[in-house]
Amino acid sequence: MGKKKTKVSRVIIYIFLTLFSVIMLSPLVIVLSSSFRTPGNMTSPLKLFREFSLESYVTAFTKMGYLSEFVNSFITTAGSVCIIVLLTSMAAYPLVRIKKKSSRGLYYFFIAGMVIPAQMIIVPIAQVFGRLHIPNTRFTPMIMFVTCSLPFAIFLYTGFLKSVPVELEEAAFLEGAGLWRRFFTIVFPMLKPATVSVIITQGMWIWNDYFFPMVFTTKRTQYSLPVGMIQFLGDRENPAQWNVLFAACILCAIPLIILFLCLQKHFVNGIAAGAVKG
Amino acid sequence: MKNKNKKSGMLVMPNRMYIFAVPALLLFSVFWIYPVLQLFYYSFTNFNGINYNYDFVGFKNFARIISEGSLLNSILNTLLYTLIIVVVSNVIGLALAFMLNMGLKGTRFYRTAVYIPALFSAIVVGFIWSYVYMPSSGMVASIVDLFGGEGKWLNLLGNYQTALVSIAAVDIWKNIGTTMIIYLAGLQTVNESYVEAGMIDGCTDWQLIKYIKLPLISTTITINVVLNVIAGLKAFDFSFIMTNGGPGRATNTLMFSIFQMAFNDQMMGKASAFSVVSFAVIVLITIIMLIHMNRKEVEF
Repeated sequence: MGKKKTKVSRVIIYIFLTLFSVIMLSPLVIVLSSSFRTPGNMTSPLKLFREFSLESYVTAFTKMGYLSEFVNSFITTAGSVCIIVLLTSMAAYPLVRIKKKSSRGLYYFFIAGMVIPAQMIIVPIAQVFGRLHIPNTRFTPMIMFVTCSLPFAIFLYTGFLKSVPVELEEAAFLEGAGLWRRFFTIVFPMLKPATVSVIITQGMWIWNDYFFPMVFTTKRTQYSLPVGMIQFLGDRENPAQWNVLFAACILCAIPLIILFLCLQKHFVNGIAAGAVKG
Repeated sequence: MKNKNKKSGMLVMPNRMYIFAVPALLLFSVFWIYPVLQLFYYSFTNFNGINYNYDFVGFKNFARIISEGSLLNSILNTLLYTLIIVVVSNVIGLALAFMLNMGLKGTRFYRTAVYIPALFSAIVVGFIWSYVYMPSSGMVASIVDLFGGEGKWLNLLGNYQTALVSIAAVDIWKNIGTTMIIYLAGLQTVNESYVEAGMIDGCTDWQLIKYIKLPLISTTITINVVLNVIAGLKAFDFSFIMTNGGPGRATNTLMFSIFQMAFNDQMMGKASAFSVVSFAVIVLITIIMLIHMNRKEVEF
């Protein structure tokens, strides 16, 4: 009796999965097809892939100042992620190894930061920047990228560090290695899965974030890709501008999509490991 | 000669280790915790965010946001938004994970298709869906036209009844892939021997899911629900990018209202009072949720 039933349920599952994928992908397919049309083509976007022109891309590319925005995005994301990995793996070390109420308390203090939304405290944050005389540069948002990532990254690292046995440090300790050497030569390499997870999860939101760069950069030369998209806000009401807008959307998203398709396994493991092991 | 560190428990973990946490703690306190404390202070003033000659006004800000109705409206909008994304994302995300965990052909393609939107920046997603929802020439309207409906009267974002649900749908579209991937990973940790034991006892597929698999991934369910609740309570992006809080106040979430008051209306005192209440709401919901869900988890 089992076989017939599984066959029927298999068909139902395939129908559901296909329908759902169509719903998920259809906006993206339309955007992709429209981005290959000439800017003036105002026929219904539902007529897919009738024209193939790169004109909209050229217009969007120059209007955005794509190269400079890409470089800014890349520097701030890579820089922030490196600092995050260093600071939070270090912070997790005493939080896990010291078994006292004080370390427990400190852990919860960090984790509690996760529930505070950035929009809520952005004005007082801007005031702190003012008082410390931190100027608006392309690097300024990095301070907030790092700060904002601390709770989740510390949560991840402490979760992993618990499963790194203390005994591993013993040999080094008996040989007289100090805390720093113990951490960087023995503990940190053991945390590699957590590091991958932190790089992927935090790198993704930082690359895509428009909020902090919107507040902490002023000149167009300082913009990252997402904040550069804000200048298109007025265009979306006007169907005549859609093809260029869609080309800009694709240009903005394509670096991460390429990276995802190349490193799919790391992405999937990184996202999941963070949530399941943490 | 006896080595006093013979037992592994004797490995020295001195308090000086805390120095490792100092850089993170410093950044966190200055740029995250101190600003939160500032909010509590400003909520009792008429500070406008720029001019430091402000006065203390007692509980006036709180009285105002309550009497204007903006607070209650934002809380209700945010709770409804959160409820929608938590329920829909988790039910569909879990269902997808079960289907993709059966070892069917094409699993990789479907997984990628569902996950791809999560790679897009919220601002790009906002643009794409502004087009999808556009009256008369947008994707939804065109499809309705195709089937003989009247697409030009369909203004999902401009309608009081549908605006909030519509932006919640965008949020689900963007984030359901992440929820699904976390569930998939959870299902992969399920020990097959429990499932086999159930099969030997003659459980139906449905019983296997309900009595064996679901309890075994209860930790994953907790994590996904908590992540979605936090994301919902922080909802800001699509009100900001797509609807500007409108029509009227229909998509004013807590975070959007606060941002609007602080930046556009330059009423930092009022925005701070709003923040203090939002903060209380978020903390309260998180605590209730964590206590409730911790009790339900199954440990193995």
